[in-house]
Amino acid sequence: MSQAELVLFLEASVRLGIPLALAALGETISERSGVINIGLEGSIIGGALGGALGALAFESAGLGVVTGAAAGVLAASVFAVFAVWLGADQIITGTAVTIGGLGMTGAIYQARFGVTGTELSLPTLAAVRVPLLADIPIVGSALFDQAPTAYLAYLLAPTLWYFLFHTPYGLELRAVGEAPDAAEAAGVRVLLVRLATTLFGGLLAGIAGAHLALAHAGTFAENMSAGKGFIAIAVVVLGRWNPVLVLLAALFFGAASALQFFLQALGLDLAYQIFLALPYLLTLAALAGWVGRARAPAALALPWESKR
Amino acid sequence: MNPTLVRLRGVERRFGSVVALAGAELELRAGEVHGVLGANGAGKSTLFNVLGGLLRPDGGTIEVDGRPVVLTSPRDAWAHGIGLVHQHFTLVPTLTVSENLALGLRGALEPGLSVQRAVRELIERTGLDVPLQPRVEELGVGDRQRIEILKALLRDPRILVLDEPTAVLTPDEIERLFDLLRELAGEGRAVTLVAHKLDDVLAVADRVTVLRAGRTVLTAASGEADQSELVRAMVGDGVVDTIALGLGPPPSGAPPSAPHAERWVVRLRGVDVEDERGWRLHKVDLDVAGGEVVGVAGVEGNGQRELARVLAGRLEATRGTVELPEQIGFIPQNRSTEGLIGEFDLVENVALALYRKPEFHSGPWLRWDGMKRVAEEIRSRYEVAAPSVATLGGALSGGNQQRVIVGRELEMSADLLVAENPTRGLDVSAAAFVHDELRRLASEGVAIVLLSTDLDEVLALSGRIFAIAAGTLRPVSSRARDRAGIGALMLRGERRTAVDSALERGVDDG
Repeated sequence: MSQAELVLFLEASVRLGIPLALAALGETISERSGVINIGLEGSIIGGALGGALGALAFESAGLGVVTGAAAGVLAASVFAVFAVWLGADQIITGTAVTIGGLGMTGAIYQARFGVTGTELSLPTLAAVRVPLLADIPIVGSALFDQAPTAYLAYLLAPTLWYFLFHTPYGLELRAVGEAPDAAEAAGVRVLLVRLATTLFGGLLAGIAGAHLALAHAGTFAENMSAGKGFIAIAVVVLGRWNPVLVLLAALFFGAASALQFFLQALGLDLAYQIFLALPYLLTLAALAGWVGRARAPAALALPWESKR
Repeated sequence: MNPTLVRLRGVERRFGSVVALAGAELELRAGEVHGVLGANGAGKSTLFNVLGGLLRPDGGTIEVDGRPVVLTSPRDAWAHGIGLVHQHFTLVPTLTVSENLALGLRGALEPGLSVQRAVRELIERTGLDVPLQPRVEELGVGDRQRIEILKALLRDPRILVLDEPTAVLTPDEIERLFDLLRELAGEGRAVTLVAHKLDDVLAVADRVTVLRAGRTVLTAASGEADQSELVRAMVGDGVVDTIALGLGPPPSGAPPSAPHAERWVVRLRGVDVEDERGWRLHKVDLDVAGGEVVGVAGVEGNGQRELARVLAGRLEATRGTVELPEQIGFIPQNRSTEGLIGEFDLVENVALALYRKPEFHSGPWLRWDGMKRVAEEIRSRYEVAAPSVATLGGALSGGNQQRVIVGRELEMSADLLVAENPTRGLDVSAAAFVHDELRRLASEGVAIVLLSTDLDEVLALSGRIFAIAAGTLRPVSSRARDRAGIGALMLRGERRTAVDSALERGVDDG
């Protein structure tokens, strides 16, 4: 790989990693409070369509991100009502939200643009070059010549880390995810915390979806989320529920996806699927405790109800 | 007279069809230690969960400072200065001690006072010493109890309630706790100690309230009420189980007879159990003969759990030799999670212990008719209050679950019975039933190992007694056969972490 190719590879890694990072950071927060939102994919595809429609309506990619975020929250609110508020099984509810989200967005898209769908051309999120930082050799332009949503992910990771581990609110949130009964006895409003974290997860997944439509493709396509919600959940595990590590894990997954394109582009006769599988193998290793100690929040996926 | 801080009137609470409180009354005054007595199941914990805002009452009123209040959450209770030290720990095991203490303190401390400093000052003032850095899951129950008490005190409550705090403390620690309670009351707080043992309450309380079957049956200054009056108030006309109430000397009939060497059924030699957190058991030697009851006393979390499971054949020793009989009965501590499967009916639950026996097989198929007959027999012989054997295990009260488990394990005609806190949480008559059955079984030649955190139970039922502390088993000599003697043995080696055992092991191996 020449230096130019390396720069291109790194840039693609970051570009592919950012939507994963955004969705995974939100999921980290909800999982820390004990909610595993398998419906994340539904929020991402909702965010993509919401972002596309918003960008068209307001003729602004920036406002598209806002409507995409709102659509992500909407999808997550379905999950929040059933799985958090009513205590339904989180896995089943999340699967329903994912399948429902994929179906609904497809239906809305076809109703709006017809079955064949003329190629949508959307206002796109322009890359913003950060002065000085972008001039760092090799990694500079990969990291700091990206859509504004990338900078959101960079800022969120340390902010969420500080929030989780150094503020009383973060402590309460973690207590809810580890031992909700104990948290309630300590005066924490368990359901309120879980509702809030679920919606926050939906918000970031919606932004991730909008990023897919507005920064990557410049268009919307059915099923364009392509399993990124599930990959994000794996990213959370590999990042050990720590926002900073989660950001790095997302970039690593992004690099693995970028690698396949490069291997194909370079005409190398390698089974690129092996590289695609690599991050998942690492995730399994992390779960099994071979890559540091990964321990899920103790009350993860357990519905909770006050005994009052 | 001291001003009244809390008055509960006619408090009622039901859980489904079970009436837990049926008109409980309570008055707590500033500057006094108030003892609340009642047999297991009398409604003590329910009453204080109502006062702590964790449960809503179905009827009755709560007054704080003479004004009626509605407590819908623990937050509300704290806003009125009510602090509860729960019987079941409400700590987050995976968080550190500091984090647990800080949890929910947002806005509760004086401005400018950091949690760290507040904690350090409190530890100094109260002498409740706990390490702050380790995660709670690494600590023993004694430490956890101290943390619970610190957690409540950090919010500076005017009304402090401790629900059965003595169960996991050694006699020495209990004495120190009582000194602290008196001091706290002396500062003008209303301190309430909930217990089911008379001695504990009479040792420290200024006034006593007795609950029975969800009602307040007696309130008196502790000097005015004599013991027999209190006992009658606690148990009514029911069975008096002197053991469960911690009364007087053990009944005769369990002489520490020398075991017959030719009838050894259990032989443990140099048994170690080790897990990732360190030693659970260390160099345990134990022989048990048929017909004797061997008691193992200790504060919870010192290796009883592992010892019970090694004896029951459920856990393999890391090192050492273990000889066990073929048929072993096991009464585990957690009836509802380990003893019975809540979603299984009584026949299925009984079958779990029996299905391997050849008489319940025909070819590869189970013979449900035979196991159903056994279940029917257990239900009638052990007076299980269940409409039929098709009743689900989870639908039974704790006492009736225990009757099923005891019955099932006895029906196995085992050579060894391992009983782990077999009467915890049972009402008086259920506890008496279990005690009688253990005695009867021993007289029939079965070897029994009783592991209990209840010293009085161990003293009353056992021939030979061992104390377990930090995974080490020590015999209790006949001279040390009392609360103080065993307590001293139990104290040894408390609070041992993985680091300590690793260090010890290093010394040992080197």
